[in-house]
Amino acid sequence: MRLGKALVRGRGRAPYLVPYILVDRARSGRLGATVRALRDGGASAVELGFPFSDPIADGPVLAGASGRALGHGTTWRDLLRGVRTAAPLLPTAVMTYANPVWRRGLDVALEELATAGASGLIVPDLSWEESGPWRAGARRAGLDLVLFAAPGTSLERVGRIAAQARGFLYLVSRYGTTGTGATQSAKELRPLVDAAHRSAPRLSVLVGFGVRDRASRDAALSSGADGVIVGTALEERLAAGVSAAALTRWVAELVR
Amino acid sequence: MPRRYGPYGGAYVPETLVPALEELERTWTEARRDPKFRAELRTLSETLGGRPTPLYFARNLTRRAGGAEIWLKREDLVHGGAHKFNNALGQGLLARRMGKPRLIAETGAGQHGVATAMIGAALGLRTEVYMGSVDMRRQRPNVERMRLLGAEVHPVTTGSRTLKDAINAALRDWIANVRTTHYLLGSAVGPHPFPAIVADFQSVIGRELRRQSVRSFGRLPDLAVACVGGGSNAIGTFHPLLRTPVELLGVEAGGRSAGSGGAASLSRGRPGILHGTYSYVLQDSDGQVADTESVSAGLDYAGVGPEHAWLRDSGRARYVAVRDRDALAAFHWLAEDEGILPALEPAHALFAAVQEARRRPSTQHIAVTLSGRGDKDLEVVLRASR
Repeated sequence: MRLGKALVRGRGRAPYLVPYILVDRARSGRLGATVRALRDGGASAVELGFPFSDPIADGPVLAGASGRALGHGTTWRDLLRGVRTAAPLLPTAVMTYANPVWRRGLDVALEELATAGASGLIVPDLSWEESGPWRAGARRAGLDLVLFAAPGTSLERVGRIAAQARGFLYLVSRYGTTGTGATQSAKELRPLVDAAHRSAPRLSVLVGFGVRDRASRDAALSSGADGVIVGTALEERLAAGVSAAALTRWVAELVR
Repeated sequence: MPRRYGPYGGAYVPETLVPALEELERTWTEARRDPKFRAELRTLSETLGGRPTPLYFARNLTRRAGGAEIWLKREDLVHGGAHKFNNALGQGLLARRMGKPRLIAETGAGQHGVATAMIGAALGLRTEVYMGSVDMRRQRPNVERMRLLGAEVHPVTTGSRTLKDAINAALRDWIANVRTTHYLLGSAVGPHPFPAIVADFQSVIGRELRRQSVRSFGRLPDLAVACVGGGSNAIGTFHPLLRTPVELLGVEAGGRSAGSGGAASLSRGRPGILHGTYSYVLQDSDGQVADTESVSAGLDYAGVGPEHAWLRDSGRARYVAVRDRDALAAFHWLAEDEGILPALEPAHALFAAVQEARRRPSTQHIAVTLSGRGDKDLEVVLRASR
């Protein structure tokens, strides 16, 4: 299923919860069970992250996980394997920095991801200005290219970005990297969410960077957003060896 | 202001940084046309920075090479001991114009960190510098200088703990504090508009060189040589010469041996996206950025400025790699022949210049940008010669 269909706005299925898992060869055996646990808890889709040597948008937890995954020898092949595992269970978006995709060849990489079953692509260091060839490539491959907005983005720009985003609009909740610092207040995020909804009424806005529990989820959703992305808090649980049952309960609590 | 150089350049950054990059471009576009800004930049370049720097005929080094005349553009005489001052001053003035009270910077050899700390002190801006812990060890005197100048130095202990990781840390800080902080990027790398702005501020090198060579030997040099890590002193040297017949030669760090990767992105890398720009990058087949190694911390970087990528592809400039031990040899030549201790970064350029001089008749002139002085490198040089 296309990501945008799974996360379509205004069908009463919101709020959406999309967890983020970094692909790591050392725990590839557990990936299926993890995604199943997330699905059973009520996750709407899953993001699979590809580790990168220089993850500038990530805070210490996810950057550390990225470094460890590379140390374990994680490759593009492991990512494709991960997509093939996850995609039958939940709509799967791949999150990767721009260079690994570019190095592989934009069209080749997108085609491989789509063939493996991915339904969307998220590139945190791809600004809207540089996204043209990527949007065209994703369209050709049948992938939804997610675009970003952030607290400093002007309302006019949010509208323009939302009009060209596919899958969902990723609203970064604050100034900072993943998993660090405090979220901007819902009052500050609301105009951005409204501008995106006005421009693209069927496109969900998902808030990420800093959503880690029920309270921060509620705060994020009170901006009018359609869902949240949870990355660092899940990574901490996976690193601590959380059981599938506990993971399902945790997700259910966040979705409820 | 160019956003792309051929296919290279652009701004591959998280959305959070886009408004700040736009503000920076706007501010520089206005400032460069503002006579008051230009006057202040010029006055401080002269009275604080010591510009113009001389063009020196290296008579003894020329004799050693036995060919073309070798002339040195003495950026080692700029305040702080390197060309980094030129860009730090310019961007510091832009930060003040934008009303940003805090500067952050990355540094490899420490020269850019020192320059930023000096400018921060002079303009009353709080300064924090990110430096890889490996580099802090091998360039200790510069760490102490930054601290004495009032800057806070943050050791970076992730990744290869060198320049690349210091840039990552600075970018993360900027993402978090972008409303109050200017990231004073030290080389002609990074997202647009940084490569263009840094080239503008460093072009004072090439403009002076053009004027001084005509005054000194009646015409432009036949060849201009500069070392390339990110490539700021080289782009500053090359820019004003682009539309002249002068040959341009950039010299990268070749590392320990001919087989090793060193840090020669243009000679041994492939096009890729690193730190916000599309340029040549040393990387593996999965697009993971490679660890680099060089005797000079300032050249120890897996990427390179996007304009150099285009100058290489278009053939306007040539780029070669010089190995550690050849750079060390050139260090000693200049010390013994001319009484000048060069930094290890331009020692790479010196070696290549001597090679070129040997192949050319004595009627030709080679200008080498001596981008910094070698005091910071004494420990490394002494250890290498033991």
